[in-house]
Amino acid sequence: MTPRPWLHGFLDLCLLAMLRERPDYGYGLAQRLAAAGVADIPGGTLYPALLRLEQQGLASPSWGPSESGPRRKYYAITPAGLDALSAQADEWRGFRDGVDALIGEHVR
Amino acid sequence: MNDWPHRFETELVRLGLQPERAHRLSVETAAQAGEHAADPDHFFGPAHLYARHLVAELRVSTFEEKRAEAGRVMLRLAGVTKRYRRRTVLAGVDLTVRGGEVAAIVGANGCGKSTLLRICAGLTAPTSGTVQRIRRVGFVPQDGGTAGWLTADEHFTLFGAAAGIAPRKARSTGAHLASLLAWRPTAAQPVQELSGGTRQKLNLVLGELHGPDLLLLDEPYQGFDQGSYLDFWRQVHVWRDAGRAVVVVTHLLHELQHVDHVLDLGGAA
Repeated sequence: MTPRPWLHGFLDLCLLAMLRERPDYGYGLAQRLAAAGVADIPGGTLYPALLRLEQQGLASPSWGPSESGPRRKYYAITPAGLDALSAQADEWRGFRDGVDALIGEHVR
Repeated sequence: MNDWPHRFETELVRLGLQPERAHRLSVETAAQAGEHAADPDHFFGPAHLYARHLVAELRVSTFEEKRAEAGRVMLRLAGVTKRYRRRTVLAGVDLTVRGGEVAAIVGANGCGKSTLLRICAGLTAPTSGTVQRIRRVGFVPQDGGTAGWLTADEHFTLFGAAAGIAPRKARSTGAHLASLLAWRPTAAQPVQELSGGTRQKLNLVLGELHGPDLLLLDEPYQGFDQGSYLDFWRQVHVWRDAGRAVVVVTHLLHELQHVDHVLDLGGAA
Protein backbone atom coordinates (compact mmCIF):
# COMPACT_ATOMS: atom_id res chain seq x y z
CA MET A 1 0.00 0.00 0.00
CA THR A 2 1.12 3.56 -0.70
CA PRO A 3 2.77 5.37 2.22
CA ARG A 4 0.54 8.18 3.36
CA PRO A 5 2.69 11.21 2.35
CA TRP A 6 2.27 10.26 -1.29
CA LEU A 7 -1.47 10.11 -1.07
CA HIS A 8 -1.79 13.42 0.74
CA GLY A 9 -1.57 15.61 -2.38
CA PHE A 10 -4.00 13.48 -4.36
CA LEU A 11 -6.54 12.42 -1.76
CA ASP A 12 -9.08 15.04 -2.83
CA LEU A 13 -8.70 13.86 -6.42
CA CYS A 14 -9.34 10.22 -5.42
CA LEU A 15 -12.38 11.16 -3.34
CA LEU A 16 -13.90 13.30 -6.09
CA ALA A 17 -13.30 10.55 -8.65
CA MET A 18 -15.11 7.99 -6.50
CA LEU A 19 -17.98 10.40 -5.82
CA ARG A 20 -18.41 11.03 -9.56
CA GLU A 21 -19.16 7.34 -9.92
CA ARG A 22 -21.77 7.38 -7.15
CA PRO A 23 -22.57 9.18 -3.90
CA ASP A 24 -21.05 7.43 -0.90
CA TYR A 25 -20.35 7.80 2.83
CA GLY A 26 -17.06 7.80 4.70
CA TYR A 27 -16.72 4.12 5.48
CA GLY A 28 -17.70 3.12 1.93
CA LEU A 29 -15.08 5.47 0.45
CA ALA A 30 -12.40 4.08 2.77
CA GLN A 31 -13.28 0.54 1.63
CA ARG A 32 -13.14 1.52 -2.05
CA LEU A 33 -9.74 3.21 -1.63
CA ALA A 34 -8.38 0.09 0.05
CA ALA A 35 -9.95 -2.23 -2.56
CA ALA A 36 -8.38 -0.16 -5.37
CA GLY A 37 -5.00 -0.73 -3.71
CA VAL A 38 -4.45 3.00 -3.25
CA ALA A 39 -4.30 3.28 0.52
CA ASP A 40 -5.53 2.13 3.91
CA ILE A 41 -6.56 5.59 4.93
CA PRO A 42 -6.83 6.56 8.61
CA GLY A 43 -10.13 8.13 9.70
CA GLY A 44 -8.24 11.17 10.94
CA THR A 45 -7.19 11.87 7.35
CA LEU A 46 -10.37 10.83 5.52
CA TYR A 47 -13.06 12.68 7.46
CA PRO A 48 -11.37 16.10 7.61
CA ALA A 49 -10.83 15.79 3.84
CA LEU A 50 -14.54 15.12 3.30
CA LEU A 51 -15.49 18.10 5.48
CA ARG A 52 -13.08 20.23 3.45
CA LEU A 53 -14.73 19.16 0.19
CA GLU A 54 -18.08 20.05 1.72
CA GLN A 55 -16.82 23.43 2.93
CA GLN A 56 -15.40 24.25 -0.50
CA GLY A 57 -18.70 23.34 -2.18
CA LEU A 58 -17.13 20.47 -4.14
CA ALA A 59 -19.34 17.81 -2.52
CA SER A 60 -22.80 18.18 -1.00
CA PRO A 61 -23.90 16.09 1.99
CA SER A 62 -27.20 14.38 2.71
CA TRP A 63 -28.23 12.08 5.54
CA GLY A 64 -29.27 8.54 4.79
CA PRO A 65 -30.43 5.68 7.02
CA SER A 66 -28.36 2.58 7.68
CA GLU A 67 -29.58 -0.94 8.40
CA SER A 68 -27.59 -1.01 11.61
CA GLY A 69 -26.23 1.77 13.77
CA PRO A 70 -26.35 5.55 13.32
CA ARG A 71 -27.54 7.30 10.14
CA ARG A 72 -24.91 7.97 7.51
CA LYS A 73 -23.69 11.17 5.88
CA TYR A 74 -23.60 10.62 2.13
CA TYR A 75 -21.65 12.91 -0.18
CA ALA A 76 -22.51 13.69 -3.82
CA ILE A 77 -20.23 15.56 -6.23
CA THR A 78 -21.35 19.09 -7.25
CA PRO A 79 -20.77 20.86 -10.61
CA ALA A 80 -17.88 22.77 -8.97
CA GLY A 81 -16.58 19.40 -7.79
CA LEU A 82 -16.62 18.08 -11.37
CA ASP A 83 -14.57 21.10 -12.53
CA ALA A 84 -12.07 20.56 -9.70
CA LEU A 85 -11.90 16.87 -10.55
CA SER A 86 -10.96 17.45 -14.17
CA ALA A 87 -8.36 20.11 -13.25
CA GLN A 88 -6.78 17.84 -10.62
CA ALA A 89 -6.84 14.85 -12.95
CA ASP A 90 -4.75 16.85 -15.43
CA GLU A 91 -2.30 17.74 -12.66
CA TRP A 92 -2.07 14.10 -11.64
CA ARG A 93 -1.37 12.92 -15.22
CA GLY A 94 1.38 15.53 -15.61
CA PHE A 95 2.91 14.45 -12.30
CA ARG A 96 2.63 10.74 -13.10
CA ASP A 97 4.15 11.15 -16.59
CA GLY A 98 6.98 13.22 -15.15
CA VAL A 99 7.82 10.60 -12.52
CA ASP A 100 7.58 7.83 -15.12
CA ALA A 101 9.97 9.71 -17.40
CA LEU A 102 12.47 10.12 -14.55
CA ILE A 103 12.30 6.45 -13.62
CA GLY A 104 12.72 5.37 -17.25
CA GLU A 105 12.06 1.89 -18.56
CA HIS A 106 15.25 0.33 -17.21
CA VAL A 107 14.42 0.71 -13.55
CA ARG A 108 12.45 -2.17 -12.17
CA MET B 1 -17.18 6.07 30.67
CA ASN B 2 -16.80 7.42 27.15
CA ASP B 3 -16.83 11.23 27.26
CA TRP B 4 -14.66 11.58 24.14
CA PRO B 5 -17.35 13.49 22.14
CA HIS B 6 -17.81 15.90 25.02
CA ARG B 7 -14.09 16.57 25.38
CA PHE B 8 -13.80 16.94 21.59
CA GLU B 9 -16.65 19.47 21.50
CA THR B 10 -15.22 21.45 24.42
CA GLU B 11 -11.83 21.69 22.70
CA LEU B 12 -13.43 22.82 19.41
CA VAL B 13 -15.20 25.64 21.26
CA ARG B 14 -11.96 26.55 23.03
CA LEU B 15 -10.31 26.79 19.60
CA GLY B 16 -12.87 29.38 18.54
CA LEU B 17 -15.59 27.42 16.71
CA GLN B 18 -19.21 28.43 17.19
CA PRO B 19 -20.84 26.17 19.84
CA GLU B 20 -23.53 24.87 17.44
CA ARG B 21 -20.96 24.00 14.80
CA ALA B 22 -18.76 22.32 17.41
CA HIS B 23 -21.73 20.26 18.58
CA ARG B 24 -22.62 19.19 15.03
CA LEU B 25 -19.02 18.19 14.33
CA SER B 26 -18.84 16.24 17.57
CA VAL B 27 -22.01 14.27 16.79
CA GLU B 28 -20.78 13.60 13.26
CA THR B 29 -17.35 12.54 14.42
CA ALA B 30 -18.79 10.06 16.90
CA ALA B 31 -21.00 8.66 14.10
CA GLN B 32 -17.94 8.33 11.81
CA ALA B 33 -16.17 6.17 14.38
CA GLY B 34 -19.45 4.25 14.65
CA GLU B 35 -19.37 3.49 10.92
CA HIS B 36 -16.13 1.65 11.52
CA ALA B 37 -17.50 0.00 14.66
CA ALA B 38 -14.63 1.68 16.51
CA ASP B 39 -14.24 3.68 19.69
CA PRO B 40 -13.49 7.37 18.85
CA ASP B 41 -10.49 7.41 21.17
CA HIS B 42 -9.02 4.43 19.36
CA PHE B 43 -10.06 5.60 15.88
CA PHE B 44 -9.14 9.31 16.02
CA GLY B 45 -6.72 9.44 18.96
CA PRO B 46 -6.95 11.82 21.93
CA ALA B 47 -9.93 14.21 21.66
CA HIS B 48 -8.01 17.47 22.06
CA LEU B 49 -5.38 16.52 19.48
CA TYR B 50 -7.94 15.48 16.86
CA ALA B 51 -9.85 18.73 17.52
CA ARG B 52 -6.70 20.75 16.76
CA HIS B 53 -6.00 18.68 13.67
CA LEU B 54 -9.53 19.11 12.33
CA VAL B 55 -9.62 22.86 12.93
CA ALA B 56 -6.25 23.26 11.20
CA GLU B 57 -7.44 21.19 8.21
CA LEU B 58 -10.64 23.19 7.85
CA ARG B 59 -8.86 26.55 8.11
CA VAL B 60 -6.31 25.62 5.44
CA SER B 61 -8.96 25.23 2.77
CA THR B 62 -10.39 28.69 3.36
CA PHE B 63 -6.93 30.28 3.34
CA GLU B 64 -6.13 29.19 -0.17
CA GLU B 65 -9.26 30.71 -1.59
CA LYS B 66 -9.15 34.02 0.21
CA ARG B 67 -5.51 34.98 -0.26
CA ALA B 68 -5.72 38.52 -1.63
CA GLU B 69 -3.36 40.36 -3.96
CA ALA B 70 -0.82 42.61 -2.28
CA GLY B 71 -2.57 45.93 -1.67
CA ARG B 72 -1.52 49.50 -1.02
CA VAL B 73 1.68 50.42 0.81
CA MET B 74 1.14 50.43 4.57
CA LEU B 75 4.73 51.04 5.65
CA ARG B 76 7.77 52.38 3.82
CA LEU B 77 11.22 52.87 5.31
CA ALA B 78 13.89 54.51 3.15
CA GLY B 79 17.52 54.83 4.21
CA VAL B 80 16.70 54.62 7.91
CA THR B 81 19.75 55.03 10.13
CA LYS B 82 19.96 55.11 13.91
CA ARG B 83 23.01 56.18 15.89
CA TYR B 84 23.44 56.43 19.63
CA ARG B 85 26.41 58.81 20.04
CA ARG B 86 29.17 57.17 17.98
CA ARG B 87 27.53 53.74 17.83
CA THR B 88 25.59 52.96 14.64
CA VAL B 89 22.70 50.60 15.42
CA LEU B 90 20.96 50.71 12.04
CA ALA B 91 22.46 51.79 8.73
CA GLY B 92 20.48 52.50 5.56
CA VAL B 93 17.49 50.23 6.16
CA ASP B 94 14.88 50.03 3.38
CA LEU B 95 11.60 48.16 3.76
CA THR B 96 8.24 48.36 2.00
CA VAL B 97 5.25 46.39 3.27
CA ARG B 98 1.87 46.36 1.51
CA GLY B 99 -1.54 45.27 2.69
CA GLY B 100 -1.78 41.46 2.51
CA GLU B 101 1.92 40.98 3.21
CA VAL B 102 3.95 39.72 6.16
CA ALA B 103 7.50 40.96 6.76
CA ALA B 104 9.91 39.40 9.25
CA ILE B 105 12.76 41.29 10.89
CA VAL B 106 15.52 38.85 11.88
CA GLY B 107 19.08 39.06 13.19
CA ALA B 108 21.24 38.36 16.22
CA ASN B 109 20.41 39.65 19.69
CA GLY B 110 21.35 43.31 20.00
CA CYS B 111 21.34 44.02 16.25
CA GLY B 112 18.59 46.63 16.57
CA LYS B 113 15.44 44.63 15.74
CA SER B 114 13.36 46.15 18.53
CA THR B 115 14.73 49.63 17.85
CA LEU B 116 13.70 49.30 14.20
CA LEU B 117 10.20 48.18 15.17
CA ARG B 118 9.85 51.19 17.49
CA ILE B 119 10.95 53.39 14.58
CA CYS B 120 8.25 51.76 12.43
CA ALA B 121 5.72 52.54 15.16
CA GLY B 122 6.86 56.16 15.46
CA LEU B 123 7.95 55.72 19.09
CA THR B 124 11.62 56.31 18.33
CA ALA B 125 12.93 58.87 15.82
CA PRO B 126 15.51 57.73 13.26
CA THR B 127 18.78 59.68 13.05
CA SER B 128 18.25 59.98 9.31
CA GLY B 129 16.02 58.52 6.60
CA THR B 130 12.25 58.59 6.12
CA VAL B 131 9.37 56.57 7.57
CA GLN B 132 5.92 56.61 6.01
CA ARG B 133 3.07 54.64 7.54
CA ILE B 134 -0.71 54.58 7.42
CA ARG B 135 -2.61 56.02 10.34
CA ARG B 136 -4.03 53.00 12.14
CA VAL B 137 -1.16 51.04 13.62
CA GLY B 138 -1.20 48.30 16.27
CA PHE B 139 2.02 47.87 18.25
CA VAL B 140 2.73 44.86 20.46
CA PRO B 141 5.94 45.34 22.46
CA GLN B 142 7.96 42.48 23.88
CA ASP B 143 7.20 43.38 27.47
CA GLY B 144 3.69 44.67 27.42
CA GLY B 145 2.24 47.86 28.82
CA THR B 146 -0.31 46.00 30.92
CA ALA B 147 -1.29 46.87 34.47
CA GLY B 148 -1.02 43.89 36.85
CA TRP B 149 -3.93 44.79 39.11
CA LEU B 150 -6.49 45.22 36.31
CA THR B 151 -8.45 42.33 34.74
CA ALA B 152 -8.39 41.44 31.04
CA ASP B 153 -11.87 42.96 30.61
CA GLU B 154 -10.74 46.22 32.20
CA HIS B 155 -7.82 46.33 29.78
CA PHE B 156 -10.21 45.85 26.86
CA THR B 157 -12.37 48.72 28.12
CA LEU B 158 -9.39 50.99 28.78
CA PHE B 159 -7.60 50.39 25.47
CA GLY B 160 -10.95 50.54 23.66
CA ALA B 161 -11.67 53.94 25.21
CA ALA B 162 -8.31 55.24 23.94
CA ALA B 163 -9.39 54.24 20.41
CA GLY B 164 -12.94 55.59 20.79
CA ILE B 165 -14.66 52.20 21.13
CA ALA B 166 -17.65 51.88 23.48
CA PRO B 167 -16.94 49.71 26.59
CA ARG B 168 -19.38 46.92 25.74
CA LYS B 169 -18.09 46.64 22.16
CA ALA B 170 -14.48 46.72 23.37
CA ARG B 171 -15.15 43.86 25.78
CA SER B 172 -16.93 41.67 23.24
CA THR B 173 -14.27 42.35 20.61
CA GLY B 174 -11.56 41.51 23.15
CA ALA B 175 -13.28 38.25 24.11
CA HIS B 176 -13.62 37.29 20.44
CA LEU B 177 -9.98 38.06 19.59
CA ALA B 178 -8.89 36.11 22.70
CA SER B 179 -10.88 33.08 21.56
CA LEU B 180 -8.92 33.06 18.27
CA LEU B 181 -5.83 32.49 20.39
CA ALA B 182 -7.63 29.75 22.34
CA TRP B 183 -7.89 31.93 25.44
CA ARG B 184 -10.97 32.61 27.55
CA PRO B 185 -10.32 35.45 30.00
CA THR B 186 -11.63 34.75 33.49
CA ALA B 187 -13.71 37.55 34.99
CA ALA B 188 -12.28 39.26 38.08
CA GLN B 189 -8.81 37.74 37.64
CA PRO B 190 -6.11 40.41 37.78
CA VAL B 191 -3.54 40.23 34.99
CA GLN B 192 -0.64 39.68 37.42
CA GLU B 193 -2.07 36.21 38.14
CA LEU B 194 -1.87 35.19 34.46
CA SER B 195 1.01 33.12 33.10
CA GLY B 196 3.60 34.87 30.91
CA GLY B 197 2.16 33.27 27.78
CA THR B 198 -1.38 34.39 28.58
CA ARG B 199 -0.21 37.95 29.33
CA GLN B 200 1.40 37.90 25.91
CA LYS B 201 -1.96 36.90 24.40
CA LEU B 202 -3.51 39.89 26.17
CA ASN B 203 -0.85 42.11 24.57
CA LEU B 204 -1.72 40.72 21.15
CA VAL B 205 -5.44 41.29 21.66
CA LEU B 206 -4.83 44.85 22.85
CA GLY B 207 -2.65 45.58 19.82
CA GLU B 208 -5.44 44.45 17.53
CA LEU B 209 -8.48 45.75 19.42
CA HIS B 210 -8.98 48.85 17.26
CA GLY B 211 -8.67 46.95 13.97
CA PRO B 212 -5.36 48.43 12.79
CA ASP B 213 -4.23 48.17 9.15
CA LEU B 214 -0.60 47.69 10.14
CA LEU B 215 0.44 45.33 12.95
CA LEU B 216 3.91 45.61 14.47
CA LEU B 217 4.79 42.62 16.66
CA ASP B 218 7.96 42.15 18.73
CA GLU B 219 8.45 38.38 19.33
CA PRO B 220 4.90 38.20 20.63
CA TYR B 221 4.90 34.45 21.36
CA GLN B 222 7.33 34.35 24.32
CA GLY B 223 6.04 31.82 26.81
CA PHE B 224 3.52 30.30 24.39
CA ASP B 225 3.13 26.53 24.38
CA GLN B 226 3.26 24.69 21.06
CA GLY B 227 -0.49 24.93 20.45
CA SER B 228 -0.65 28.67 21.17
CA TYR B 229 2.36 29.19 18.94
CA LEU B 230 0.55 27.55 16.02
CA ASP B 231 -2.57 29.58 16.82
CA PHE B 232 -0.41 32.71 16.66
CA TRP B 233 0.96 32.03 13.18
CA ARG B 234 -2.49 31.02 11.96
CA GLN B 235 -3.73 34.39 13.23
CA VAL B 236 -0.90 36.19 11.39
CA HIS B 237 -2.14 34.56 8.19
CA VAL B 238 -5.73 35.52 8.93
CA TRP B 239 -4.64 39.17 9.30
CA ARG B 240 -2.65 38.95 6.08
CA ASP B 241 -5.56 37.39 4.19
CA ALA B 242 -7.83 40.16 5.48
CA GLY B 243 -5.55 42.63 3.66
CA ARG B 244 -3.61 43.91 6.65
CA ALA B 245 0.14 44.35 6.76
CA VAL B 246 2.13 42.54 9.47
CA VAL B 247 5.71 43.17 10.57
CA VAL B 248 7.03 40.65 13.08
CA VAL B 249 10.38 40.59 14.86
CA THR B 250 11.45 36.98 15.20
CA HIS B 251 14.48 34.79 15.75
CA LEU B 252 12.74 31.60 14.63
CA LEU B 253 14.06 30.97 11.16
CA HIS B 254 11.84 28.01 10.37
CA GLU B 255 8.83 30.34 10.18
CA LEU B 256 10.35 32.38 7.37
CA GLN B 257 8.85 30.23 4.62
CA HIS B 258 5.47 31.75 5.56
CA VAL B 259 6.44 35.40 5.12
CA ASP B 260 6.73 37.68 2.09
CA HIS B 261 9.76 39.78 3.09
CA VAL B 262 12.73 38.97 5.29
CA LEU B 263 14.82 41.88 6.57
CA ASP B 264 18.06 40.49 7.99
CA LEU B 265 19.85 42.98 10.24
CA GLY B 266 22.79 40.60 10.65
CA GLY B 267 25.06 40.45 13.68
CA ALA B 268 25.10 42.63 16.80
CA ALA B 269 25.81 46.31 16.14
